[in-house]
Amino acid sequence: MATESIKYLAPDSENKAKTQVFPRPGQHTTGLVDWLTTIDHKKIGLMYGMTALFFLIVGGLEALLIRSQLWDHNMDVLTNRQYNQMFTMHGTTMVFLVIMPLSAAFFNFIMPLQIGARDVAFPRMNALSLWCFVGGGLILNLSWFFTGGSPAIGWFGYAPLTDTRFAEVIGDMGPDFWIFSLQILGVASLLASFNFITTIINMRAPGMTMMRLPVFTWMTLIVSFLIILAFPAITIALVELMFDRTYGTNFYDFLEGGKPHLWQHLFWIFGHPEVYILILPAMGIVSEVIPVFSRKPLFGYGLVIFSGAIIGFMGFAVWSHHMFTTGMGVVATSAFAMLTMLIAIPTGVKIFNWIGTMWGGRIRFDTPMLFALGFITMFMIGGFTGIMHSSVPIDAQHQDSYFVVAHFHYVLIGGALFGLFCGFYFWLPKMTGRMLNEKLGKFVFTLMFLGFNLTFFPMHYLGMIGQPRRTHTYNEGHGFETWNQIATIGAFILGVGIVIGIYQFVTAFFNKKLKPAGKNPWDARTLEWALSSPVKEYNFARTPIIKARDQAWENNYGPRENHAEKEPLDDHGVHMPDRSWWPLVTALGLFGLAMGMLFHRTIDPSGELVRDYTVPILAGSVAIIGMIMWALEGPGGYHLFPKENDE
Amino acid sequence: MISLLAKHPVLRNLFSGLFLFLAGSCSRIDHKQSALDPKGLVSQNQYDVFMLSVWITIFLFCTVGGCLLYVLWRYRAKTAEEAKEIPPQSHGNSMVETGLIIASSIILVILAVPTLQGVVLLNRVPDANDTESLEKLGLDRSQIDGAITVNVTGKRFFWIFEYPQFGIVTANELVFPATKAVRINLRTEDVIHSFWVPKLAGKMDLMPGQENFMWFIADQKKIMGDSDAATAMPAVHDGTMRSKVFAKQKFTDEFEPVGGLFYGQCAEFCGNSHAYMSFRALAQTDEDFDTWVKRFQNAQNPNLQTKSYDPKTSYNKNSFVSFADNKLGAGANREYRSVRKTSPGQSPQVAPGAWEKAHSDDYEKGKQLFSSLQCVQCHAVNRTGLGAKGPNLTLYGLRTSLAAGWMRNDEESLSKWLKNSNEIKFGNLMWNGEGVDDRHPLRNLQDDDEKVNQLIAYLLGQS
Repeated sequence: MATESIKYLAPDSENKAKTQVFPRPGQHTTGLVDWLTTIDHKKIGLMYGMTALFFLIVGGLEALLIRSQLWDHNMDVLTNRQYNQMFTMHGTTMVFLVIMPLSAAFFNFIMPLQIGARDVAFPRMNALSLWCFVGGGLILNLSWFFTGGSPAIGWFGYAPLTDTRFAEVIGDMGPDFWIFSLQILGVASLLASFNFITTIINMRAPGMTMMRLPVFTWMTLIVSFLIILAFPAITIALVELMFDRTYGTNFYDFLEGGKPHLWQHLFWIFGHPEVYILILPAMGIVSEVIPVFSRKPLFGYGLVIFSGAIIGFMGFAVWSHHMFTTGMGVVATSAFAMLTMLIAIPTGVKIFNWIGTMWGGRIRFDTPMLFALGFITMFMIGGFTGIMHSSVPIDAQHQDSYFVVAHFHYVLIGGALFGLFCGFYFWLPKMTGRMLNEKLGKFVFTLMFLGFNLTFFPMHYLGMIGQPRRTHTYNEGHGFETWNQIATIGAFILGVGIVIGIYQFVTAFFNKKLKPAGKNPWDARTLEWALSSPVKEYNFARTPIIKARDQAWENNYGPRENHAEKEPLDDHGVHMPDRSWWPLVTALGLFGLAMGMLFHRTIDPSGELVRDYTVPILAGSVAIIGMIMWALEGPGGYHLFPKENDE
Repeated sequence: MISLLAKHPVLRNLFSGLFLFLAGSCSRIDHKQSALDPKGLVSQNQYDVFMLSVWITIFLFCTVGGCLLYVLWRYRAKTAEEAKEIPPQSHGNSMVETGLIIASSIILVILAVPTLQGVVLLNRVPDANDTESLEKLGLDRSQIDGAITVNVTGKRFFWIFEYPQFGIVTANELVFPATKAVRINLRTEDVIHSFWVPKLAGKMDLMPGQENFMWFIADQKKIMGDSDAATAMPAVHDGTMRSKVFAKQKFTDEFEPVGGLFYGQCAEFCGNSHAYMSFRALAQTDEDFDTWVKRFQNAQNPNLQTKSYDPKTSYNKNSFVSFADNKLGAGANREYRSVRKTSPGQSPQVAPGAWEKAHSDDYEKGKQLFSSLQCVQCHAVNRTGLGAKGPNLTLYGLRTSLAAGWMRNDEESLSKWLKNSNEIKFGNLMWNGEGVDDRHPLRNLQDDDEKVNQLIAYLLGQS
């Protein structure tokens, strides 16, 4: 690296550095400590991504166990309780520990590069959200090892099945683990979202107006707003549930006047925006990839952004379509049906615009483009079945049948996961500096596309001939066997495809044989492609002055007045912040608090319930001390002096 | 994998003639729980709206997908040089965009209208006085006026069916008249369940703390098909349904269903054994239904239960009394039936010729066991027993299925069930419920064929 550095020693911070009790790990930190204390958005993004890929394998194995159990009628691969735990864990894992953090990985890594920023607005808070995510994931999966095993309540944990009154194992702790895990994951998501919103609003490079933002950044912004508006609802729901379970309150206990319906409303007013939280990032990625591989700007940029915002806004007005069969009455049911149909319009608009983008282009079929096209077709099918479900009479038959399972896997695998894999194939050269093997990529796509359709298309039919969702087995004579066997074969093919894909992603960081990528291997359009691959620690040596929407493209092909300029170099150099232990300490404190609360109750020999709050208080203190030290530790930091164009 | 192939003929078929096979099984839509084979007014409506949506989406998929394919083919970069060309950088066309938005709105309206009609239909039984709507729906006033009401209570993991109009209670098999509307009030005593008989109507949840409503009306013509009522809807009350189902239909053979036999399933995850929470609905002709109700009312009428022999009474022929029989054990009673008119004092002991045993010895012993093994603590027989923990077993011998619709109700399955129900339905409450542990007599029947056979004789004797 052609940089030299000096320790940053401005007069006032010199004193601070001397008084620091625990100095921040500085520039030359390496190895494990570097990864544990890093506040670099790129490293945090990578850790988000790698952890999520790990959980993708965990959740995938759970799915394969589920599929094996359904191979034939009355199979004994899993007991009914194990099966119920599997689908609960599979759902929770895939939603909260795979798709959301994979999106967060791209938000972290790509978004600051796209807006010309050196990092996110609150780098240490970014690290805290990463560690909270890891802690939350850990708590959820630790549940396997304690009383009752993992929760067997379904990923939306409908009351009153979650009530201790209806626990099927005495002292079942599964739902408690689930509650605390989701709470901590909620903290992670909320912190990250505030961070991204602040970053996008405040840290755009000069000239990067809102209507010049890359679509992916726009989707980051919209998704972040969705998260901060949706998560409070589930936080409240979970707090109430925790009180019900831990302190015997009666929010959802109908025998004491509680209302199970309340849980459903609170859950879905979070849960439906959550669906868009999962899909909009993938739409953002696809909206970046299709223009690049068609060599044309996005068709109807404004409309795509606006429809994304409309989807986000209306996402809060359709939650009750998950509850058409719960007896809400004619008026509410009809209203939510109509609103749900309306939301199909902005979704359809996006598909039209993607096709419009390709129209008249020069289309290349590289792996990212294949995944983007896979996304469009699969998402279209998922969208169409979604429209069917908006119609109440149809939903009355489809609800909680395999048709619904097919529907949301088309949206979440065919949609979200294909979109995210598209993102990996598209941006990994930027992250690693090496091109991925095209042939292997296309092979992965073929496996995933075939396996996915083989698994989930038959489920439409299975649902229509009456196979209910979440049943650990089925009786002979229903005609379910054949199609379940096809689905199981497909699931294994899909699994192999995903594993090869993950292998490809991970090895890309180490495999020196791969072709170097160069700055802009795809001839792509947005600002991040003006940087070297892999991106330098400081991102931009000089802050760019943005002149047009697709800045990297304009730099190469646009008229002279559209070429980006750069802010002048100053002798101050690039100020880089030091690393910090405190986000990790704070996250550990929260983790300990949750674990302490999980185990604070014991039964003494005389059968009395004893509550011991020592551990939660200690761990909570650690979290608070972490925050205080965080505030007091001072900026530290160092300066880098990159050469003018070394970025 | 190879052993799987060898074991599963289905898989072998699949590899030998994939397309033929798939086409063959896809064309079947009359499976036991198929929503594609509606046999009632509500389910027909739901099916019609579904098919409308299917055609709309196939049209959209072909149009949009066709455009996509065209674009991909037409604008593909054919050579490496072409891939480097720069096409015109157009940014959009507001006319096209607006046009597409309007077009998609119009398509949605096509679906919205039948949706709203369907919402009203599935939530409200048509008004009997509203002749116009009745005519539109093809209903007769009497079908609404003669509607029956069933209070359905879901419990983990079985169903209670109470007929408030008739004062009777049964479980797991809902008997209903094929020509009349059936109002269903849905309640639950524990968690959320969902009532779903796909061929009759879509599902509705049983929400704790609230009563939900749904209704259905079967279409007798569709049930009957080309056969007559006796074949399509064998009578339940005299056991014809049971014997016909057993004779015609292997439990596994879905394609020869008795027309009036419908399969249902709990459709909301309710705990460990949720998958096992199925049930059946049996359609009957009006007469057969009335007779069935009568039989049930008599069986569950406390005043009509067999009384102890009264030496001061003279009994008519075919009277039933309960009288001591030491052969069954000290202090045990059995039921006797008079074969002729008796005078006072002619007890079964004094005048054995005037009486005959109403039931076999096994039945009587089974009856004793039903109490002594504590079955009676959870199961009601010959009483309504609302609030009992387990399914009501009144006239159990008429039922076609066992264990909430999971198995065929014959001696063989019942014996397996009684010996170890946990093996069949892991986690069921008969085996695992409150107060049942290894000392409970129920858990000690494995090696006791004699007792099991006596219990079976008693249970299946309830007919």
